[in-house]
Parts: sequence; structure tokens; C-alpha cells
Amino acid sequence: MRVALNILSATKIYASKKIENLDEKRIVPKMMLRRRLTRNAKIMLYLADKCGFKGGKIVYASAFGELQSTVGITTAILEEESISPTMFQNSVYNAPPSYFSLLYGDTDEIITISSGMKSSDEALKTAALQALISGEQILCVASESIDIPNIEQVNNCVEFLESGAAVVLEIAQLQKGAKEIQKGSLDGLISSIVTLFNVASMYENGVNKIILDL
Amino acid sequence: MIKNRTFINIYSSYSCAGNTKTLMEAIYAKESKITIDTNYLNGLPVALGKILSDNFFELLRSCVEEVLEKSNLENFNDTLLIVGSSVGGMKESEKHYFKDKSYTNIHYKKHCISVIEDFLQDNFSFAATRSVSTACTSSANALILAKRLMNVGAYKNILVVGADSLCYTTVCGFYALGVLSSKPCTPFNEVREGMNVAEGIAALLLQNKPNEQSIEIVGVGASSDAYHMTNPDPEGKGAIKAMQNALEDANIQVTEVDYINAHGTGTQANDAVEALAIKKLFNGVAVSSTKAITGHTLGAAAALEAIISCEILKRGKLPAQTALVKAENESIHLLQECQEKEINYVLSNSFAFGGNNASLLFRRLK
Repeated sequence: MRVALNILSATKIYASKKIENLDEKRIVPKMMLRRRLTRNAKIMLYLADKCGFKGGKIVYASAFGELQSTVGITTAILEEESISPTMFQNSVYNAPPSYFSLLYGDTDEIITISSGMKSSDEALKTAALQALISGEQILCVASESIDIPNIEQVNNCVEFLESGAAVVLEIAQLQKGAKEIQKGSLDGLISSIVTLFNVASMYENGVNKIILDL
Repeated sequence: MIKNRTFINIYSSYSCAGNTKTLMEAIYAKESKITIDTNYLNGLPVALGKILSDNFFELLRSCVEEVLEKSNLENFNDTLLIVGSSVGGMKESEKHYFKDKSYTNIHYKKHCISVIEDFLQDNFSFAATRSVSTACTSSANALILAKRLMNVGAYKNILVVGADSLCYTTVCGFYALGVLSSKPCTPFNEVREGMNVAEGIAALLLQNKPNEQSIEIVGVGASSDAYHMTNPDPEGKGAIKAMQNALEDANIQVTEVDYINAHGTGTQANDAVEALAIKKLFNGVAVSSTKAITGHTLGAAAALEAIISCEILKRGKLPAQTALVKAENESIHLLQECQEKEINYVLSNSFAFGGNNASLLFRRLK
């Protein structure tokens, strides 16, 4: 089933290690909340802010989720240390959009997709479904943060250890003029965010309507 | 928009209570299948729902194969697979990391949530695959997506699989939160210690045409608490909204619901808030939590409890609340004994970290 989507706003970000200046102090003024944020949550909130999205349905995607929290927990277990409750609550894959809901008081639906290297592809299809069912604008956002010590033990292809992309979309009434999502990828970008990254690139180049299969 | 209907036609499950048949026998006999374990917490006793097999992935393959064999499909080539999981390949990663004290022998694909989706794709060749991971609502959200995809006519066949295995991260993590019980859990009881982490597999084939055994998914609802990362909104607003959304999606009234299969983990916070939410929205509906039998299978829980809900509708027999001595909230109708009656609608709740709420409404076909 093919659907056309209007792209209302889109953005992307990446860095070889830690993304600097995610504007956390402005976006999350409450220090107690800001201190609990995961790296993915900071990236996600930054991207949502850039898109001007303040509430509504969210589809979030990540292949690896909260790697820093997961590593922190397993290391604590290995070293027979106590686990931080905050670290455990932050280890779930839906932590970033849940922080968004806390920040903005958003009580709408949140779905998190984690389909390996096609995570953002499947998230975009899910967001299209949510837009079709609800008739609403949907935030579709993907991020990865694999900037952990010794990541080189398992990573030999991802150059940008932090990255993310976001799109606010709605169903387009007409498919005419809608573009297929471009293939290809920035060298060194993690594959799990490529589809959303490419949609954001298309938007920056003036494309504001895409078409895809549900 | 014309909404195509969604039918659960075939299913299979495996939990600490065995397959679906032995699970239902345990539920109706009020026999908890939780066991005491001292391996995960350095000798401290913790009650867990452990599957009696070391090969989780072989059981997963077996469950899905059983669904295929009982279905009207020759293969899954035209079927979408949606997996709900919160643990994914964590157990495998832990094994290597604890042994090697490095990541060297961890394969990134086997760490991800998608390891389950990849394994099933390799074994069954689905038309497409997708995984949802929203902690303990993972397979509830997988079922919500599946119903909506069927509603709009995007697929005729969707297999939803909920699967989570036990691992140190979840057992030790919940222990750090102070919510684990050293005994089989006692949901909704005035005196209760906490929850039992468990493992489970549940596979349901959803189709757009019914068979003689079909149960219909008539309503789905979701919401976010926007309150706290782990504690539920004390007023139960998020839970109420999810249940209301499911009722609205099905276009039925609260009085038509015969039974609620509660999330009912046995933790202080969850049970108090869920009971309050049910009291505020419903008037005397029968309630129980089958986690007293299975423990909390995390991302698999909603799919497993969807199967339990289907069985309850087919058998016309409401399950009693196992281990209930004195209810904390006596204003909800917790079943002391199993009850045989005509059952038309069953609502099943799932709530998760991040204040993620989901409710699923099932109907018996007449």
C-alpha cells in the first residue's frame, strides 16, 4: 500500500564522537530532568526542537538504544557493584521519547522501532501508518549514540558515533509530485538512521513530498 | 476510512507454565509456576518465571512453526512479521561480556532487539519484518500496529511475536529499583512484595478473514503518562486514557466489557494505580492478573496475555486472582474463584517504563 507524505519540517545531525552543543539548557530548563537525560534523549530533544515539534504522536527509532546505560549496568554486574536505578530506567529503548513526553507534558502515543540497520526505514513506515490512522502530524525521529569506551572492539565501519535525523510529516491527499526516498548514504553514517537522514537531506534540497510503501 | 477487521486465528505460546494448554490449566487451577532462584543476585533468593529449556531460540522457532502448521498458509512469504521485545539479544551479549570482559566476541547483530526478527526471517522468509521495543508494552504496541495495518488493508496476514528471555540486566535492574519479590507475586493483594521477572514467547497470526476459532481484536488504545520514567501517574490518567481509547476504537461502552486481564505486576505502585484507574472507569467489571502464574514476561507480556484473553473468551471461563488473600482496593471486582459465563469482551492492559500505556480489546465471534 503506497502513501504520500507531506514533509513539514526535517533536520539531521552527526559527529565523529560526541555531538557538541545540543542546547540542553534552553530546551530542558529543569536541571533535575536535564541531568537524567541519556545521550539519545538529548539528541532526540534537540532534533524535535529543531523541527518545532512540541507535542503529538511520536515514532522513535534506534538500533542500539541506550548503549551507555546498558554497558553501565553490565559492568556494574560484572564488578559486583550496585546498579543505578536511573541507569536502569534509562536503558529502555523508549527512554528518549519518554523524556520528550515528560518535558512537554505530551500524553499522546509513543512507539519505538528497533529493527536493526533498517530501524529508521521501518519507523518511517510506522509514522506513515500513524498519520494515516489519526490524520495528525507525526514526529518520526531516529538517533544512535555508540560513543562508549572500547567501541572499536565491535565497530569497524561507523565513523560517526553519534547521529540523528527527524521529520515531521502528515498524509498528503495527492500522490502527484511525491518523490521516492533517495538511496545512498553519507560514508561512515550508521545504516539504522540512513532513511530518515536521506529524507532530511531531500527536505533541505527543497523536496517536501515523499512516497513510500506501508 | 473503511476499517477492515482483524482476527486472531492461530496462536502458540511458551512460558514458565509451559505451552498454552498447560498455561490455561495452571491459571484455572491457581497454580503459580514461579520458582525461586539464587543465581542472579549472588545467592539472594528471587522468584522468577523460568522456561524449562536452555534453548530459547529453538522454542521460538517451534512456536512460530506450530502457528504456520495450524494456519491456512503454506508459508509466510506474504506475511508481515512484527516482533515486540525489550531484551532482544542482551542475554547473548552478557554471556560474552561476563566471560571475556570485553566486547570482542559480541556480534552487533546478535545484541540488538532485532535478533529475534532476524532469526525468524532466516527460518521462515516473511514478506517484511519490523520490531517494536517500548519496554513492557512492546508486544502490545506490536499488536496495535498490526491491527491498524490490517484496518487500512496494507496486509492480509500479520504474525505478531512477543519474546523476551531472562537476563542479568533485567533481573538486577528491577532489583535495583526495589520492586522484585522473593516469593511468587501476589497482584492486587494488600500485602505484596513486588514482581517476578519472567521469560516468555507468544506468537499470534492475525488475518483479515475469520476462521471457526477466531477472536477479533476490536479496539486498541495507547497513551503516555507524561509523569515519571518508572512510577505511574498516581491518578491513573494515562491508564484510563489508554483503556478509553481502546473502547472508543471498538465503539463499545464500558458496561459491555466482561473481564479485564490486568497488567497487575504485583508492585506497590502499578497495582494501586491500575486498580484506581479501573475503579474510575468501570463499574464492577471482573478483574484478575495472570502474572501471578506466569510472572512478568516484559516485552512478551501483552502477546502472551492476548493469547490468555483469547482462551478465556473461547472457554467462557473467567480466571480467579491467584494468591489473593485480602485486596488492597476492595472497590474493584477481583475474582476470588473462577467463573463460567458467556464472555463477549475482554480488555487486556499493559504499562511500561516511560509511562507508556496500551490497552487491547478482544471480542468473541458469535
